[in-house]
Amino acid sequence: MAGGGGGGDGEPEFQIAPMIDVLLVLLIFFMSITSAQVLRIDQDIRLPVAADAKKKDDKNAMFEASINVSWIAARQEAKIKLDTQELPNEEIVKVLTERKNNNPTYRVIIRADRDVLAVEIQKVMALIAQAGIDDISFSTLNQDS
Amino acid sequence: MAHKKKHRTLDTEQVNMGFQIAPMIDVVFVIMLFFMVMAGAVKVERELKTQLPGLGTPALADENTPPDEILVTVEETGIVTLNEEEFDTPTDKALPNFTATLLRLKQEADHRNAKVMVTIQAEEQARYERVIDVLNSMAKAKIANVTFTVGGDDF
Repeated sequence: MAGGGGGGDGEPEFQIAPMIDVLLVLLIFFMSITSAQVLRIDQDIRLPVAADAKKKDDKNAMFEASINVSWIAARQEAKIKLDTQELPNEEIVKVLTERKNNNPTYRVIIRADRDVLAVEIQKVMALIAQAGIDDISFSTLNQDS
Repeated sequence: MAHKKKHRTLDTEQVNMGFQIAPMIDVVFVIMLFFMVMAGAVKVERELKTQLPGLGTPALADENTPPDEILVTVEETGIVTLNEEEFDTPTDKALPNFTATLLRLKQEADHRNAKVMVTIQAEEQARYERVIDVLNSMAKAKIANVTFTVGGDDF
């Protein structure tokens, strides 16, 4: 007769094991949505917001270069980097041409600060065109901070 | 004395420091809180795809139907014009009228089996953010053939 309605001798104890299970599942969930890619965004560059842009395809990450264009407001000038390296323009064209020759599907992502002038983007696109690459993407954010 | 000392050492050995669950839960909670806060401000990087003309869009020239060419200008002040007609206010990021017009033009072109080709002409001092607003409207209207001209040069 001890089984009914929670009565009986044994007071139900707080079970720690299922609680840890739930905690770990929640932890893994939040870890996965805060992906490494989010944390990799360059803090110097404030990307423009485009809500209707497509989600980035990570499959081809090996065959793409990113050109980072940051804006130095004090000097009113743009700084161009190929991935993380700051190279002279001729060198950027040389490196990109080499990569394009090795892989015809090679693409470039332009990650430019929202304050950069359109003429700077024109210069970057000129460099990419010189390297013979025609597949270009503009990197944006889904929402503003 | 010697006997007492021996007894004390035995006492310390008997204290069994088992696996402590409470500090572990504390740590897991802190890590989880960190990721929960980070998740609230998730900024996912997205992309607006475009293809430079020349190598990428040779099909346009082969077709019998000539493409519908649209000229979009982005001025330094943020004014966006479509075929020399001004749309929306310079501060409006969503560009609703501009997007609606693009959608209508795209639908009309689709009915005629024609392609839409947009040329974006941005002033040199125009902000890149405004150009992205225009590209976002293009993405909404599903227009992929975009050409850029800045200061007279085509890319």
